[in-house]
Amino acid sequence: MASKLGLAGGIPERRVRPIWDAIDSRQFKNALKLTTTLLSKHPHSPYALALKALILERMGKPDEALSVCLNAKELLYKNESLLMDDLTLSTLQIVFQRLDHLELATSCYEHACGKFPNNLELMMGLFNCYVREYSFVKQQQTAIKMYKLVGEERFLLWAVCSIQLQIRSNLLMVALAQQSDLVSGLKMLQPFCKEVLCGNGGEKLLLLAEGLLKKHVASHGLHEPEALIVYFSILEQQAKYGDALDILGGKLGSLLMIEVDKLRIQGKLLARAGDYAAAANVYQKILELCGDDWEAFLHYLGCLFEDESSWACETINTPINPPRYVECKLTHLTDEVFDSCMENASAFVQKLQAEASNDSLRNPYLAHLEIERRKCLFRKNNDDNLVEALLQYYSRFGHLACFTSDVEAFLQVLPPEKKMEFLDKLMKNSNSLSVVPTRALGQSITLLKTEELIGNMFNLSVAELEGSAVQMAELYCKNLPLSKDLDPQESMHGEELLSIVCNVLVQAVNCSSFGCGLWFIVTYLVHVLVVHPYFPPKKNLKTIVLAVLLLCLKTDGKRIEETDEPMPMWDLSYGVASFPLACKWFLAFQGCFLVHFQHSCLKLKQSSCSAWKSVNLAKLSFGTSFDSKSLIITGLFWRTRDLGYFIEAIMVLEFGLTIRRYTFQYKILLLHLYSYFGALPLAYERYKSLDVKNILMEAVSHHILPQMLASPLWADLSNLLKDYLKFMDDHFRESADLTFLAYRHRNYSKVIEFVQFKERLQHSNQYLVARVEAPILQLKQGADNIEEEGSILESLKCGADFIELSNEIGSKSLTFNEDFQSRPWWTPTTEKNYLLGPFEGISYCPKENLTKEREENVRGFIERKSLLPRMIYLSIQSASVLYKDNSEINDSLADPKISTELKALLDRYAKMLGFSLNDAIDVVVGVSRGLKPYEVFGSDVIDWLNFAVFFNAWSLNSHDSGQQGGERTPGSWHVVNSLLENYILGKLRAMGPLIQSPQGDLPILVKLVTEPLAWHGLVIQACVRTCLPSGKKKKKSGSTDQSISLLSNAVRDAIQSLCSVLEEVAKWSQDQIKSPEDNKIDLLVSSLKRNGGAGKVFNILETLASSPNETELGDRISQALRSWSPVDVGRKIVTGQCRVLSEFWRICESKIKSLKTLKQQIAQV
Amino acid sequence: MTTIRRFCCNDLLRFCFRQSRPFNRNLMGKVEGQGESWHGHVIAVTIAPEYRRQQLAKKLMNLLEEISDKIDKAYFVDIFVRASNTPAIKMYEKLGYVIYRRVLRYYSGEEDGLDMRKALSRDVEKKSMIPLKRPIRPDELE
Repeated sequence: MASKLGLAGGIPERRVRPIWDAIDSRQFKNALKLTTTLLSKHPHSPYALALKALILERMGKPDEALSVCLNAKELLYKNESLLMDDLTLSTLQIVFQRLDHLELATSCYEHACGKFPNNLELMMGLFNCYVREYSFVKQQQTAIKMYKLVGEERFLLWAVCSIQLQIRSNLLMVALAQQSDLVSGLKMLQPFCKEVLCGNGGEKLLLLAEGLLKKHVASHGLHEPEALIVYFSILEQQAKYGDALDILGGKLGSLLMIEVDKLRIQGKLLARAGDYAAAANVYQKILELCGDDWEAFLHYLGCLFEDESSWACETINTPINPPRYVECKLTHLTDEVFDSCMENASAFVQKLQAEASNDSLRNPYLAHLEIERRKCLFRKNNDDNLVEALLQYYSRFGHLACFTSDVEAFLQVLPPEKKMEFLDKLMKNSNSLSVVPTRALGQSITLLKTEELIGNMFNLSVAELEGSAVQMAELYCKNLPLSKDLDPQESMHGEELLSIVCNVLVQAVNCSSFGCGLWFIVTYLVHVLVVHPYFPPKKNLKTIVLAVLLLCLKTDGKRIEETDEPMPMWDLSYGVASFPLACKWFLAFQGCFLVHFQHSCLKLKQSSCSAWKSVNLAKLSFGTSFDSKSLIITGLFWRTRDLGYFIEAIMVLEFGLTIRRYTFQYKILLLHLYSYFGALPLAYERYKSLDVKNILMEAVSHHILPQMLASPLWADLSNLLKDYLKFMDDHFRESADLTFLAYRHRNYSKVIEFVQFKERLQHSNQYLVARVEAPILQLKQGADNIEEEGSILESLKCGADFIELSNEIGSKSLTFNEDFQSRPWWTPTTEKNYLLGPFEGISYCPKENLTKEREENVRGFIERKSLLPRMIYLSIQSASVLYKDNSEINDSLADPKISTELKALLDRYAKMLGFSLNDAIDVVVGVSRGLKPYEVFGSDVIDWLNFAVFFNAWSLNSHDSGQQGGERTPGSWHVVNSLLENYILGKLRAMGPLIQSPQGDLPILVKLVTEPLAWHGLVIQACVRTCLPSGKKKKKSGSTDQSISLLSNAVRDAIQSLCSVLEEVAKWSQDQIKSPEDNKIDLLVSSLKRNGGAGKVFNILETLASSPNETELGDRISQALRSWSPVDVGRKIVTGQCRVLSEFWRICESKIKSLKTLKQQIAQV
Repeated sequence: MTTIRRFCCNDLLRFCFRQSRPFNRNLMGKVEGQGESWHGHVIAVTIAPEYRRQQLAKKLMNLLEEISDKIDKAYFVDIFVRASNTPAIKMYEKLGYVIYRRVLRYYSGEEDGLDMRKALSRDVEKKSMIPLKRPIRPDELE
């Protein structure tokens, strides 16, 4: 080709090289200059133009680049005599790809291949184009042409892989058409689903592939092991296992150089062919060669039981952390068959155990456990044997860190009492620990972890829990010298202990120091009564007091522990934070409390309905579930939190990190504790220290993303979303290139896997959420300036694409690629966080599989959220077109299209909330007038308030809105104003200082201000803009003047209302920011130094840190211990919280400023 | 439970964390180079904390060596390691690797890297393991 002759695209290479050098060193201006010179000499060279386009694209000028590319393309097509080399085409291809015009690149290559039909290089380029477009049929046709041209094995395999992709894609489409369900569709893609292949051309295609391979093998043989594997899969898909086995046993089998690889294929083929006895023999051989292959053992058992389930295939929806055991079919077996299978298996496993050459080979012993597990499942009567086997496993491997995860699956088949029996026996063993210190430590840790796994910790009293935590901390300190000589990068001995201590402390938080059920009930009752957004009216006060007194009577006058704390002047506006404290005070000074309570209630607003509901709820909990234990484990679990334990958990982990800063488990636990504590910047810092990049973002960012989405840390959130979306979008753009790389490197089995993986990521729930949240964040950021918001909306195509997403999402199957196993058990998924309660009475640490439920939730969330950009756009339009040129349309309102579309969206939005449009309007109107309680909004309060805001915007520009709320404009304005005002202020009053009430309602407060309130602000801005006289407008008619004056009054009221709400919120934030840092730190640290309650573990660590034994611990650890400062940790928490508050305050201030400007403007109308 | 098998894309989503950085419980390798420098290269080898101290890294390394030797017919296997990562260096030495050369400021322009090598059966005279006398710069890497 031309380039081989020292020419590049027909131009001498020496002229082109400096341009490429400049591009490579990112000197685009220089590169462009050089290209202009080149073009002056070669004005009709498509290559020179392609270079120019490439540079323009890199310079961020996509439009110019496209136009230059199109010129080059035209020249290529026009001038028959011009060179058609791959260099020119591939350069153009790069630019077209970056401009998202793959089809143009493809057509260039198609044209070139048409002109030079025998040019292999061009054909490979064309094949590559089809790979990028996922055009499997065309890929196949091109590969076949190449194969015919040169007869090379690789092109044949390219064709065969393309055939396999076609079959996969055909099946997928059929499945989608039949079932509208991608998950079922993908399940159908499992290779053994022969019936689906029929009638869809699948069989013919497979026959074609087989025929091509057979013919090639006959004439040329095969040379690549990967080619052989593809051949096997083609045969397997047609259930031609015998043929595959013949090939494997023949000459071609020698391509597989590693013996066990060959045996694994043979075993699978034999099993698939139904020759289970032969397959079992093969798996025995594998296990003899490779004693630690657990999967092979499961297949071996599968063969003995003639059960295919262990060969189930992965689909794109396969959970990323599948269960540790496989489902097994046993019901088809008779007792005799089962017994003889088990006997054979046991004999073989004993042989493996006897032959095991080293001590760390766990598989033969796990195999014994699996045999016992199956016996339990089959007969359900020999649990004792399994318990015995578990004890034996402990005596051999109890010191290993993987013990608990190894036995988890086996424990699951035991009934609770047997689990406890196992634990008791283990505990008795704890007296005979190994003499090797590291081994003894490992065994001790295993005991604790097993106790945690079995759920025994939940049965312990607070004193026992504390005792356990203290014991662990002591164990940690005692064994610290073992790590004296370790490199700082190595895991330390006993590192896990601190993580378990943290979990125990988090759990301890649920128990009160009173240890009495009454405490929980009273706390709950008071919580229900007072934290309520609507406080009880005076007339119901008696009932409430009566309920509280009844409650006290029900305790039969049991004496309640007194506290030393002084009685405060309890003000209800002090809020939820002080509940545990308030309850203690209440218990200590019941009389005074009631007086204060009564006094406070007198100040409250009216809401008979909600108050009654609260009282009934309180009566209900009081009447039906007085048992303290059930209350602890049910709804009240986390409501009775003692902050001290939390701080202690944080201190323990920070202490651990001071000694070894690499322990990621501590960082993840801290990340969640800090998030809960309202110190989000610290949580984010811990997240960043995990150095999460690339694909890890998909698997790991669930730890931080949900909290950040509800936070005022917009800059950090924006980076988080931007990095994640960039990685994902880049991957989608480039994954086909990786597939092509797999073709080129003859790594054929990866071709299908890469395509499948891309699909998995494209359906990622997190990706779709981020795609919706990113623009919403932009809209939040720009909401104080309507002009800015306008351009943001414009860049989002006025929300049109998101409407499409909302329409599609219902039929989309979602994948969950997050690694939830790395989450602490008290926050097993993003939706389930047991810190926030309620804790639902489960008997051991939960790791539920909630995929189905989560999928529904996420779908609903995306469906709703993706309507927002469009609704915001339409609301602004609705308020902007108001009265424009209305003299011509005779006082009717302008632009019916906007009104119709907005109404349709409101209708959809209402339906998603479970109501018809009219009913939803009734609900918001009802709540705003105090006729309905806020509870009707349930957990969708933000969506309801958004609905009210958009309803108001629609009312401004609608004919029929008058029917809904009486007077058109002022009615709906009033609804929104009062909803926002009452709800936000209610929340605010119920909130205490962040330092005393971690988490609380701050995230919801942030959402209220930055979402519905912000959107309402935009509607106001649009109205002000519309009301303002602009010189160009025609003189308005009398009725218009009247309308404008009505509107401007409504807008003035709305501004006033929002301003006063925001000022209160800003003041609340500012008060907390200003409160002295040292006091807050004291509060945190002193919570660890009270008599009784938290602090015991902390004291142990403090004692160690205060006088480290340098000889025992070594320099590094001693130095680390000396640098330990709990006050610094306290300061970090306080600073972290302050940053969140400052950011929130800044947002409020910016809104206040914007509203004040509007106020001045509207005053001129 | 342990099974040593080929790496697949979904494994990218199953994580353990290497020191402070998250990484897979896996070994990633490739073959590269020309002529006598055709070799197996270990990109990363990590073991989840739970499964450490069971000689799993040794098993993974042995497998990579076997593949590089038998299938890819490579001359040697090499691995780059941070000069400060003493535990890893010790482990590779135990597995028969030697420090072939030092690469100055190889890691983010800050820390030196050590290129450690082990000869395979094709390198009969073990030429690939004769240490270089002087350190090299990253741009001198072939």
